Amino acid sequence: MGPITILTVDDSPSMRALLKHALVGQGHVVHDAEDGLLALDWLNRHIPDLVITDINMPNMDGFGLIEALRKQDRYRDMPILVLSTESSDEKKARARDAGATGWIVKPFDPDKLAAAVRRVTH
Amino acid sequence: MNTNAILSAKNRINVIQGDFYVSDDPQLVLSTVLGSCIAICLFDPAIEAGGMNHFLLAEPGANSEKDPLQQRLYGAFAMEQLINEMIKRGASRSTMKAHIYGGSNIHRAMAHIGTSNANFARDFLRQDGIPISLEDTGGSAARRLDLKPATGQIRCKHIPTEDVPSSAMPPLLPAAPARVGDVELF
Repeated sequence: MGPITILTVDDSPSMRALLKHALVGQGHVVHDAEDGLLALDWLNRHIPDLVITDINMPNMDGFGLIEALRKQDRYRDMPILVLSTESSDEKKARARDAGATGWIVKPFDPDKLAAAVRRVTH
Repeated sequence: MNTNAILSAKNRINVIQGDFYVSDDPQLVLSTVLGSCIAICLFDPAIEAGGMNHFLLAEPGANSEKDPLQQRLYGAFAMEQLINEMIKRGASRSTMKAHIYGGSNIHRAMAHIGTSNANFARDFLRQDGIPISLEDTGGSAARRLDLKPATGQIRCKHIPTEDVPSSAMPPLLPAAPARVGDVELF
């Protein structure tokens, strides 16, 4: 698998740094944003291969980001993974209905994350 | 509430390793006993609510299945759970204040585990932009900690490790969630 471009969205600078460390270590190009609004701003100017987003964020949460992206033709089919401390069936169903591709429970396992990235970007 | 009131509080929740709790209940006290573990106490005066977590990172090399990245990921998870619950109640990183407690070097066979835990917590809070208003870490004594989350009032008492019930002493490995990194594709 060649390197892909990934946008990670998380309001925690520490979590963004850890996620970037893991994904760059797997050979990917990683950009990040600290909430849904800033992610949308970046996505208006760039098109990544994958978005990995947290759910609980200020300004625009992960659900809002997914819904906003799925309304745009160019992001209708792009994979979007949720990475969250939440794991309730209710939250997962809401993400699925919004158009998420999958859900990963924090703390993420770098190997499982790598496998999920491979699977959704092929 | 003065110190005696904290000690005599009837509505008390014990925050065990791997757990966290956030509340704005003025009658509630959150308590824990710490050895090598770390407890972060957060308080946001803007919403008059606070919370406490209690976690332990294994020392690098102590558990071959846990590399340093995975340990930091677990610690970040413990921190994020607490911070997220505060933010859900209206707190923000800019108005929250943090206290760090614990990180004693109790286990002679793992002399620096407490220091490693304290360093992680300090670095995480600084990187996340949450001011640390008080830190009481290190040494070789255990700590008994009580937090009144509605006011942020805290009592921390150093206690000899022999006075700590064995049930309160942490194991050498972190209590990671049962379903770490589970992936579900829709």
